[in-house]
Amino acid sequence: MSDTDRSGWIRGWRPAASMAARNLRRNRMRTVLAVLGVCIGVLAVAALGIFGNVLALGADDAIGDIGTQVVVSPNADAGVESLSEADVTAIRRAVDDPSVGDPAVVPLYSDNAVVAGQSAQTFATVYGVSEPGLAFDAAEGELPERHRQGAIVGAGVAEELAVEPGDTVEIAGSQVRVVAVLAESQTFSPVAPDDAVFLPESAFAADGYAQALVVSESGATAQVAADAIREEVNAREERVDLFELAAVVDEINGFFDLLGTFLLGLGGISLVVAGVSILNVMLMSTVERRQEIGVMRAVGVTRRDVLRVLLAEAGLIGAAGAVAGTLLTVVLVAALVVSTPAVDASLVLDPTNGYYLLLALAFGVGVGVVSGAYPAWKAANERPVEALRS
Amino acid sequence: MYSLELSDVLKRYSSGGEPVVALDRVDFAVSPGEFVAVVGPSGSGKSTLLNVLGLLDDPTDGQRLLNGTDVTDLSVAERTTARKESIGFVFQDFHLLPTLSAVENVALPTAFDPGDASDRAASLLDRFGLGDRLGHEPSELSGGQKQRVAIARSLINDPAVLLADEPTGNLDTETGSSILAEFERVKSEGVAVVAVTHDPLVEEYADRVVELTDGVVVDGVPDETDADIGVFGDDGDDGDDDERRIRRSTASGDR
Repeated sequence: MSDTDRSGWIRGWRPAASMAARNLRRNRMRTVLAVLGVCIGVLAVAALGIFGNVLALGADDAIGDIGTQVVVSPNADAGVESLSEADVTAIRRAVDDPSVGDPAVVPLYSDNAVVAGQSAQTFATVYGVSEPGLAFDAAEGELPERHRQGAIVGAGVAEELAVEPGDTVEIAGSQVRVVAVLAESQTFSPVAPDDAVFLPESAFAADGYAQALVVSESGATAQVAADAIREEVNAREERVDLFELAAVVDEINGFFDLLGTFLLGLGGISLVVAGVSILNVMLMSTVERRQEIGVMRAVGVTRRDVLRVLLAEAGLIGAAGAVAGTLLTVVLVAALVVSTPAVDASLVLDPTNGYYLLLALAFGVGVGVVSGAYPAWKAANERPVEALRS
Repeated sequence: MYSLELSDVLKRYSSGGEPVVALDRVDFAVSPGEFVAVVGPSGSGKSTLLNVLGLLDDPTDGQRLLNGTDVTDLSVAERTTARKESIGFVFQDFHLLPTLSAVENVALPTAFDPGDASDRAASLLDRFGLGDRLGHEPSELSGGQKQRVAIARSLINDPAVLLADEPTGNLDTETGSSILAEFERVKSEGVAVVAVTHDPLVEEYADRVVELTDGVVVDGVPDETDADIGVFGDDGDDGDDDERRIRRSTASGDR
């Protein structure tokens, strides 16, 4: 295509769009209904797309870092009662590899005890840990790099006993000062830090660890870490059990992907219906204007330019419906967020939702042009002699 | 050289069982500045003749020349271009686009071309006495005004030939006369005018009347002297002409 051809091609769209706009105004009601059809279709695609996306984002948020932790426990079936130093070393060796993302390994002693505050007491799991900062976050106080003294109290226990850093709790008969309270856990795992108290390793006289936490950056690296540990530690005998949720998280994410696609498909159906209505409107209008189109052709307007006018009409219907549908979606979603406090606004404002808006907008315009193509082609190619006769 | 010429043209339709011969070996020609009326009963092939002359339809056999160039077998796109550049159409039902103003209707053939033809369209309308109706839509114009807009549209590209299909068919006698007077002005500028008609009034204005019966044309090609009359006929001062002028002046009271 030469430059003159190209500029001619672009220039031709201006008169075409102007004629198209006037033609659309001739039968306002019909045009408005067709636009409404596209508007609803676009609304359905955009709203259902965003709905699915918010669900997925919300689930992602709620599941939190479920998938980033691997809990290694001794395999009781094989007669292994606890994890030895050698096991922990083997685990560290297994994950000491950049391809595994170099996760933190936090071995834990474990016991159960009655923990008492000033006014209440509760039964809690007591863990022995030397580097709590690798696996947990503090809400109050600070987590020591090396846990040497004092108790770190889980959020649930702290609330039940109404204690905060500086208070004293009684654990299995000895008084221990609280150095930190953990943030409420987002994690679902056999190690439930909310209902636990963490003491220094020195408080335990056990001869082996009850569990080891392997904390990765992401679900994917957690899975790699789990595989590496299985290979290294369980090479000769099944010494350890691994509890990992990365695979489950994958499945959940897969489900939400499917749900999102399903919802988009549902919206897509209404957009197809809108497309059929544009097809119908354009066919009716080209049949009604058969003579006019014949006259245009007779006086020397080319087939390409007739096609342009008709495509512009369909495209304008699609574009108007798409813009209206997109704006309506924004208003609807905003209203939903304002009226429903349960919906987390940050999820709705997530930039990925904009993608669904753009997708719906493009679909709307595309549906217009695609549905208009056949009637336009048909009308443009009719012989003017036939069109003028009638 | 004729503006438009058909020689030995056959047009046969085969749609719907038996083939129908609409034009049977027709010889027809029109010179620049000549006004030819084609008359004949319904179904005699008048419309087909006009369509073949206007490059809207192709002859089955024979030859078609436009300004001496063979235009018998053109592609669809070439025919469209040739129509735009050399042929103007005026229809019985005016066939103006209802969404366009008068000036836009006149400029319609050039609407998609580079450059703006509205000035030329406006001056054409002015010439036809519609200078104060430029922005009016067809629905706001009378029949005679609409037909004048249609004539202006047919002239926007300085055509060689103006083809009219029953140009007075939807107009009262007075308005019809005024339209025919416009045709006389058009032909005086060297444009060949061919009008297919039932209207005896058109025959009165025409330089030559060609009769079409069952697809057969008698005397479709002018002899040399006829052609001369075609070109200069308007300047002649035979008695007929005075009578026409009187008719014309009464007719211009229309609008």
